[in-house]
Amino acid sequence: MRTFFRIIRFAMQSMLRNFWLSFVTVSVFVLTLITVNAVIILNVLANASVKSVEGRVQVTVYFTSDASVDTVKSTQSYLLGLSQVKDVSYVTAEDALIAFKETHKSDPVILGALDEVDGNPLGQALKIRAYNAADFPFILEALETPEYAPFIKDKNYNNYESALKVLGNFSEKIRIGFLVLALFFGFIAMLIVFNTIRVAIYVHREEIGVMKLVGANDWFIRGPFLLESIFYAFIATGIMAGIIATTLRFANPYIVAFFQGVDVDLVAYYSTNALPMFGAQFGILAFLGLATTAFAMRRYLRV
Amino acid sequence: MITFKNVTKEYPPKTHALAGVSFRINAGEFVSITGQSGSGKSTVAKMIFAEERPTSGQILIGDWDISKIGRADIPILRRQIGVVFQDFKLLPKKTAFENVAFALHVAGESGKRIREVVPHVLKIVGLAEKGHRYPRQLSGGEQQRVSIARALVHRPKIIVADEPTGNLDAITAREIMELFTRINDFGTTVLLVTHDRDIVNGLHKRVITLRDGKVSSDAEKGKYLLT
Repeated sequence: MRTFFRIIRFAMQSMLRNFWLSFVTVSVFVLTLITVNAVIILNVLANASVKSVEGRVQVTVYFTSDASVDTVKSTQSYLLGLSQVKDVSYVTAEDALIAFKETHKSDPVILGALDEVDGNPLGQALKIRAYNAADFPFILEALETPEYAPFIKDKNYNNYESALKVLGNFSEKIRIGFLVLALFFGFIAMLIVFNTIRVAIYVHREEIGVMKLVGANDWFIRGPFLLESIFYAFIATGIMAGIIATTLRFANPYIVAFFQGVDVDLVAYYSTNALPMFGAQFGILAFLGLATTAFAMRRYLRV
Repeated sequence: MITFKNVTKEYPPKTHALAGVSFRINAGEFVSITGQSGSGKSTVAKMIFAEERPTSGQILIGDWDISKIGRADIPILRRQIGVVFQDFKLLPKKTAFENVAFALHVAGESGKRIREVVPHVLKIVGLAEKGHRYPRQLSGGEQQRVSIARALVHRPKIIVADEPTGNLDAITAREIMELFTRINDFGTTVLLVTHDRDIVNGLHKRVITLRDGKVSSDAEKGKYLLT
């Protein structure tokens, strides 16, 4: 145990006394973590945006003018019985006409065409919301029964479907792009750690020889190098946590304002997930550092 | 204490550093090993602290046959021998105190004992006030004193000094040799490897002379025989 504490002390001493080497290594680790966290933040924002859009998606089912109120209400009850359906609201023919006029108030051609038709050409309608936008095809399929299908004039879903697809594709592409960038930075970080340890071993080769001559065993020599890489990971993760906490504290109100109506609270997200998230980042970084150091030592350190 | 029995060291393809060297050094002796460059004297020193292994023959430290010593046992052997080099071999990023303490750290000594012993040993070598200095802040003679303090600190029964005065001026060299003599007076066996005529002749101790990897003379109160 005494030897273990000494190895820790020597590792810390070596880090401090080779300050610039340590500084460069920690900086590259921090850069890697910044990229990783950018991917995480982007992921959170993209998911929140998609969820928000999905939450707003509603499909309107228009009924023929000869469909009775009872038929429409019965359809509403049937839909509410489906587990995928979140909400179904009933729209009378009159309300549908008012809404239609409101939507097209700036289009005199459509309004003129409406005037030429006698009475209200629109029927009753049901506005359906689903828990998950992907379930809409199933919900609409469920209406294709002899009981309801003859009374259904139209369903407007396709526009939303393509918008969701575009949003999904966009966020997926950005996510992949950042992930590639994070992997790239990770790779660069590993190369730098490898080189740092290689340089450290080269710089310390005489020192290592001296340690051996005064009777230091393998682990007394290797231990500090391995521990240094863990310390680098720990310090880099700590700095990253500080950067995230400070940045989000100032930027979060602007982010919330920018994504109006979307439920994005990155501070809350990081507060809830801080331990597993930074723990995992530290773990992976420490593992990469250890693996690289072990490889560099195997190659360059003859103990 | 130290026994070489017909020790040979060959380097491929056909260089003989040592060829059938035999001698015995008793506990408490002060022995100088002399010889010209390439005579094999440093190889003898390196074999004692297992930096080199003999091609054939046997080396005993006490009853321990170190001719075929295992990797794991080398640190244990080295913790029982103090080694002093011509180029001091100090750890540049550690202070004089830390350099001396390092030999105790690797041996697993307690912090309390290290804090007691190291200042005492630094005082013996005349560096009581300079423990906080890094090697670059010390003169050559002072660095060699730190090196001697490090070799002494774990109270070894044997000190091997390989050309310890090679980088020092005559006056400092004499001071260092006085230090070795004092250490020997305390009962520590000292094996001095040198080609410095004045030092060997000034000691009036046993001298083993090597020539072309063989013992050419072994004399009590010997002299430097080479021209």
